[in-house]
Amino acid sequence: MAEIRDIKSGRTGEPPPQPMPRRLAAIVAGDISGYSRLMQIDEEGTHNRVKRIERDLIEPTIVEHHGKLVKTTGDGFIAIFDSPVEAVRCSIVIQQNLVGRNAALPKHHWIEYRIGINLGDVIIETDDVYGDGVNIATRLEGIADPGQVYISGGIYEQIKHKVVCGYESLGDRKVKNITDPVRVYRVLPDPAAFQRSRRRRENILIFLLSFTLLVIAGGVFWYMLWQPRGKSWDQASAPVSSPAEQPRPPALPAPVVKQAAPESQPAPTRAPAQQQPAPQSQLPPAAKQEAPLPRSASPATPAPPSTTRPASSVREPAMIPLRGGSFAMGGIEENTEKPVHQITIKPFAIGKFPVSVGEWNECAAAKGCAFVAAGKDDAPVTNVSWTDAKQYVAWLAEAARKPYRLPTEAEWEYAARGGTQTKYWWGDQFQSGMANCKNCTDIAATEQPIKVGTFKPNPFGLYDMGGGVDQWVEDCWHKNYQGAPTDGSAWVESQCTSHVIRSGSWRNDARYVRPSNRDSYDTDVRYPTHGFRVALSP
Amino acid sequence: MKFIRLIALSLALTCLSFAAHAQGKPAPKDALLYFVWPQNGTTIKGGFWCRFGLRNMGVTHAGDHFANSGHHHLLIDVNEPLNPNEPIAQDKSHLHFGAGQTEARIELPPGKHTLQLVLGDAEHYPFNPPVVSDKITINIK
Repeated sequence: MAEIRDIKSGRTGEPPPQPMPRRLAAIVAGDISGYSRLMQIDEEGTHNRVKRIERDLIEPTIVEHHGKLVKTTGDGFIAIFDSPVEAVRCSIVIQQNLVGRNAALPKHHWIEYRIGINLGDVIIETDDVYGDGVNIATRLEGIADPGQVYISGGIYEQIKHKVVCGYESLGDRKVKNITDPVRVYRVLPDPAAFQRSRRRRENILIFLLSFTLLVIAGGVFWYMLWQPRGKSWDQASAPVSSPAEQPRPPALPAPVVKQAAPESQPAPTRAPAQQQPAPQSQLPPAAKQEAPLPRSASPATPAPPSTTRPASSVREPAMIPLRGGSFAMGGIEENTEKPVHQITIKPFAIGKFPVSVGEWNECAAAKGCAFVAAGKDDAPVTNVSWTDAKQYVAWLAEAARKPYRLPTEAEWEYAARGGTQTKYWWGDQFQSGMANCKNCTDIAATEQPIKVGTFKPNPFGLYDMGGGVDQWVEDCWHKNYQGAPTDGSAWVESQCTSHVIRSGSWRNDARYVRPSNRDSYDTDVRYPTHGFRVALSP
Repeated sequence: MKFIRLIALSLALTCLSFAAHAQGKPAPKDALLYFVWPQNGTTIKGGFWCRFGLRNMGVTHAGDHFANSGHHHLLIDVNEPLNPNEPIAQDKSHLHFGAGQTEARIELPPGKHTLQLVLGDAEHYPFNPPVVSDKITINIK
């Protein structure tokens, strides 16, 4: 019936009569001042720098402020935001970052944006946005000085008490092709930042820049040389580390049974297979060619079809399967840990140790992870952001063809408690020597982070659940558990800018070792005490 | 041969990176880190937006090695002196703003608290000389 009505309404030939996608939005228009001049000086260099700024600064900043980049032109961009406050903050962040980026360059190479922001009712289509409101934003940007943000009266009214910074009224301005004059304000985040005296520092800045470039170049060279050696680990360590988790010669009983052993009876010595880099890794590089299959794993198994081949070459972290269960999550010590709430956890497996440098570097060698980690092979990998950790689990899941992932926050706490409800897994009183935390051990600072599995395992047979390295989990950061899910799933929303870290590190004191302790950190930022462990869905 | 070259190279690079870490990046002498809000001695009810001001340097994402730029760290009720040879600590009283934030929503229990800003370089080390704000005291009602 509905279709018939449509035809009768006489709109044949036009798209279905959806209401025009109109919306009130804050429109941010930016463009580079003196773009043609820059292009004249150095066409390719300028183009590359502009693209890099768009990729590294403008796009992520817009996303962080919940905006949407509608389009980029050669020398500019247009973005829309639901919130004028976010639009202005985003613009300030972009401008302040650019100040830093330009600092190392001579003035005639500066890339400076002019930004205009207007609040308007606009028509939004997938790859463009139309309307008066957009034109006004573009005109504001046109009259703005380089490095400045100009906003319209409409935006000013919305943000004047919310974004604390200076606003200089420039009065009503007549702008091209717009009938009514527009009230214009200049945003002054910190006026003095732009009036830097720089001449005497130029030399040192250029030196620092070239030094940085040298280090980067050295790093790349190093990385390229290391790669062949990285591959030899694959091959060498596979027979040693993975027989227990090897996908399956069909005759073997379910591997879960084998793995369950350490749960009931934590081995007194710590998992030699995983943490010692196999001595064979010293094999001459000639051995780096892939052997078809590790000989020792399953002698007479006829090679299954090619799908399992990649899996057989990857070293997987040692995993401990956990039965599901119910527990009280949270604590009363900190507001972030309240309210205590009952959680039901489904069965899953979790890494026995945090991911080690050796394990990480296999991912780096396979180009699944962004950088080669420094440090001993059996030390936990550190200086990883949440995004880095996600890259590792994505690579591991793909390479091993198993659903590897980060643990959820609830799973992490369940695993860390090891079936206890006390303040620490060993009781309510802190005991030295149980965890790697600040002033809890005799380990010299230069030896930190000490290798995984140095301290006692908890009742589930898990090492370093508290102290050692901070560990990323899947969940977005929320300042307390108000509204948290109770089924053990991750509490996430799209595009959250910070995620939860657990465990505390060797640089945090004993309070941070508590299994209920939680903290947050920016999603994309690396820090030298941050690592992670993996989880696996059954 | 290749092996020796590798060792020499990695050694050189390690030394380089240590040299880079031994002390923070140089900061301009006129760099000024300060609180836009709150000011010293302010009494505040409940949570507040803390705004960071920086002059003569730029704010950038942690990990970006641009000269003359860094990212903010907010120290709440911290009394230990700053160690210039270690990355700025990360815990509940050392808040990091490595995404280039210039403000933050802060909630503190009632009472007197001190706040201080420290600018960190790409690797979270303090600059040399350290770029720090005055330590201010606020009162939460």
